[in-house]
Amino acid sequence: MNDADSLPTWRLWGEEKTDGALYTVYLKKVRYHRPTKSVSSSSYSDSDDEISHLEWETVRVRFVKAGTLKKLVEALATDDGELETTYINVFLATYRSFSNPKEVLKLLLQRYEELLSPVNGISDNHEQHRKTLISALHVWLDSYPEDFKEPPHHSTLRQLLQFCEEYLPTTELEAKVRHRLDKYGRESYPESLLTPPPTFAMRTGGTISWKTYRLPEVPVRHFAEQLTRMDMELFKKLVPHQCLGAIWSRRDKSRSHEAATVLATVNQFNAVSFRVISSILVDPQLKANERAQIIVCWIDIAQELRVLKNFSSLKAIISGLQSNPIYRLQKTWQAIPKEKIELFDELARIFSEDNNQWAQRELLMREGTAKFADTVGENDKQLQKIFQKQNNHIANISFGTIPYLGTFLTDLTMIDTAIPDTISDGLINFDKRRKEFEVLAQIKLLQGAANAYHLPEDSMFDRWFDSLLVLDDREAYQLTYQIEPSSNSSNTAKVKKKSVGHKKNDSIASNSSSNSSQFYCDFDSMPSSPHNSIDRKLSPSQMSNSSSNSSLPSLDVSLNSSHSGSANNKLQLSSINMSTLSPNHSQKNSPDFYIIKVTFETDCVETDGIVLYKSIMLSNNERTPQVIRNAMLKLCLEGNPDSYTLAQVLPDKEMMLPPNANVYYAVNTAYNLNFILRPKASEDSSSTGKHSKGKTKS
Amino acid sequence: MTRPPNENLPAIKLVVVGDGGVGKSAITIQFFQKMFVTDYDPTIEDSYLQHVEVDGQWCILDVLDTAGQEEFSAMREQYMRKGDGFLLVYSVTDKNSYENIIHFHTQILRVKDRDVYPMLLVANKVDLVHLRKITEEQGRELAHKLGIPYIETSAKDPPLNIDATFHEVVRIIRNQPQAELEKRKKKKLQILNKCVLQ
Repeated sequence: MNDADSLPTWRLWGEEKTDGALYTVYLKKVRYHRPTKSVSSSSYSDSDDEISHLEWETVRVRFVKAGTLKKLVEALATDDGELETTYINVFLATYRSFSNPKEVLKLLLQRYEELLSPVNGISDNHEQHRKTLISALHVWLDSYPEDFKEPPHHSTLRQLLQFCEEYLPTTELEAKVRHRLDKYGRESYPESLLTPPPTFAMRTGGTISWKTYRLPEVPVRHFAEQLTRMDMELFKKLVPHQCLGAIWSRRDKSRSHEAATVLATVNQFNAVSFRVISSILVDPQLKANERAQIIVCWIDIAQELRVLKNFSSLKAIISGLQSNPIYRLQKTWQAIPKEKIELFDELARIFSEDNNQWAQRELLMREGTAKFADTVGENDKQLQKIFQKQNNHIANISFGTIPYLGTFLTDLTMIDTAIPDTISDGLINFDKRRKEFEVLAQIKLLQGAANAYHLPEDSMFDRWFDSLLVLDDREAYQLTYQIEPSSNSSNTAKVKKKSVGHKKNDSIASNSSSNSSQFYCDFDSMPSSPHNSIDRKLSPSQMSNSSSNSSLPSLDVSLNSSHSGSANNKLQLSSINMSTLSPNHSQKNSPDFYIIKVTFETDCVETDGIVLYKSIMLSNNERTPQVIRNAMLKLCLEGNPDSYTLAQVLPDKEMMLPPNANVYYAVNTAYNLNFILRPKASEDSSSTGKHSKGKTKS
Repeated sequence: MTRPPNENLPAIKLVVVGDGGVGKSAITIQFFQKMFVTDYDPTIEDSYLQHVEVDGQWCILDVLDTAGQEEFSAMREQYMRKGDGFLLVYSVTDKNSYENIIHFHTQILRVKDRDVYPMLLVANKVDLVHLRKITEEQGRELAHKLGIPYIETSAKDPPLNIDATFHEVVRIIRNQPQAELEKRKKKKLQILNKCVLQ
């Protein structure tokens, strides 16, 4: 237990092999008489001067190094029949790598029966052993309830109940098992281990339609807190043993559910990163300094995440800013104030790969369970300032810590690869599990610390987060090269060649509709936002400006008056894929896709002020059923597309789309491309007559 | 935070990329551990640093293997930026991993903003003969298409070509045509001039 105190008196003696198990044996000096001194002082003065040798004795202590499963189960109790508390923690956290709940329970119960059997003689010792087995069962049930959840029959739990009825009737254990079975039985639907953050919950009562945040004018501290809240929910739900190399890194498709909580964390990380990227790129008409402001906003959010000790979203933002489509935007970065660049560099240094992620490991070690962030390197000028300011304010606030999970996953993968599962003729290598447990214990410790966060929930943030468009790889590259053409583009042919290369990525990219030379992007439609004002509209000077950088003739195009004139916030994007443009392009071609916003309205009464929407791409050959299908996918709706209708929200009415229209041509581009998806009402209520309660008031 | 310079040997950063489950970590571990040890600790500072001698010249190999983090797709480019050379690993038992190599290749060139970069195509798990789905010909064909060398490996005991793989990348890095670099510099100058003229 008290390793720090006892370490100096431990000595490795050697290994000992018995039938089915291999032990590491230590010699340990223990006090023979109770010392008069306090225990703590002994750790300082562990010298022979003060206490005579006569007061010590040496005992042999052995630890299971490897064994058969049966032996490992037996080792839950010491030779004297006491519960090995450290051992049981390691065992329960890791046994899924080499066994399963059913098998382990069977052996536990067998052992109990053996100890009862008169063949083995009866002694006090046996009774103690049996008691310990019951304690072990209690610990198991309490710490890993999910092990016993096997809907619909929960057969392992039933087996345990049967055992209790036979040997331990009317005991605490039996009551616990019975209670657990009842509870699981009542949960008629198998509860997923993993409920996604409640972003899809329909909210009612909002009076503001379509109101949302917009970068860069957002409260950065609040944003950091909201990101932390999302991460914290996932992190607390994380099941540490799903991170084990044998489960996470060896999983295949059929077993991916076994790592669902890990995957959820990874997905959230990517979601944040991709949103950073898209928010910076999605409007190619921004001036360099306007785009720079968005980057600065993310750096400011990142800084707040550092204060909150949320290393997951912090790294996600850094990764997004360091992703190639953003990183290469030299002009934009040049427009960022020097101290913000310094701050960014300081934050990025935390995740330096140098010396095996030393910086990050060290930081986590120091602050993991500390109350607040205060570690800075000598060169971190900006962070020093921030922490100084912070320390003046937060007397009593304390934060948890959310680690970047990836480092743990790599460590566990490496342990799994480096250390064999079995040694000496097939014995389960338990020392490997001890090593893995060191990492799991750290995760668990941080999970406990995460309870220190108390963060309010802001559903408007969730909606904002959820509605941000995520660009696929090729879209991001199209935009970044449009914003700043390749500096190396004396030969645009090279860019072209590369973009052909990108197309190969389409197999991973999901969006097939974006094979376009240009598209419209309906931005945010908060009329009050300064960014929607006229200055954002495409100006001819900007146009020529951007195209002169490339060697190709000024591209297009449709400053088609009906489009650019009327919509107050519609943006026209031209792309780098200029090679596809023919000279008379502007007459013939319209943009190949729009980005539209779709909100979902159910038929129930309480649907005023629905503000949840999703952005989807609408390409020029998509008909109503396809668009509905796309929208359903984004909104996570299941069912038959035929049972939904789609309508564009216009200022004074809605325009219902005919069942098989080419939506791209049918939409009214003079207005915001806001749509409502709703389930088809029963035949009698005509859709034209029914007014959307959630429509936009513009 | 910085480590003392080690006799001023050149440090070379290698990045190991490839899908999850192709045995990247086994290649890395095999190279660094030689023999399996039970007290392996993945968290110590110099776990993935090693002095190696290639063709009579010493250098320090610093290997970055993010095995287990494959699905944090958003951070890939961040660590690719750091690499001087890359191992592109697939498993001969996994067709998808073979097909995905091209994406890693494209991504590296994009991050480096180059047409060529020191890389080696590594066909791993060739010991699993009966499970093999990608033949040597297919491997070589892909390597040819990408314009990079090809090697077959196994990290199982006895290991095949593990040291050879790392040494080969070092050679590729050392031998990358300086002419190419020069040409690029010139090109940039030309562009600059052009811009000025315009």
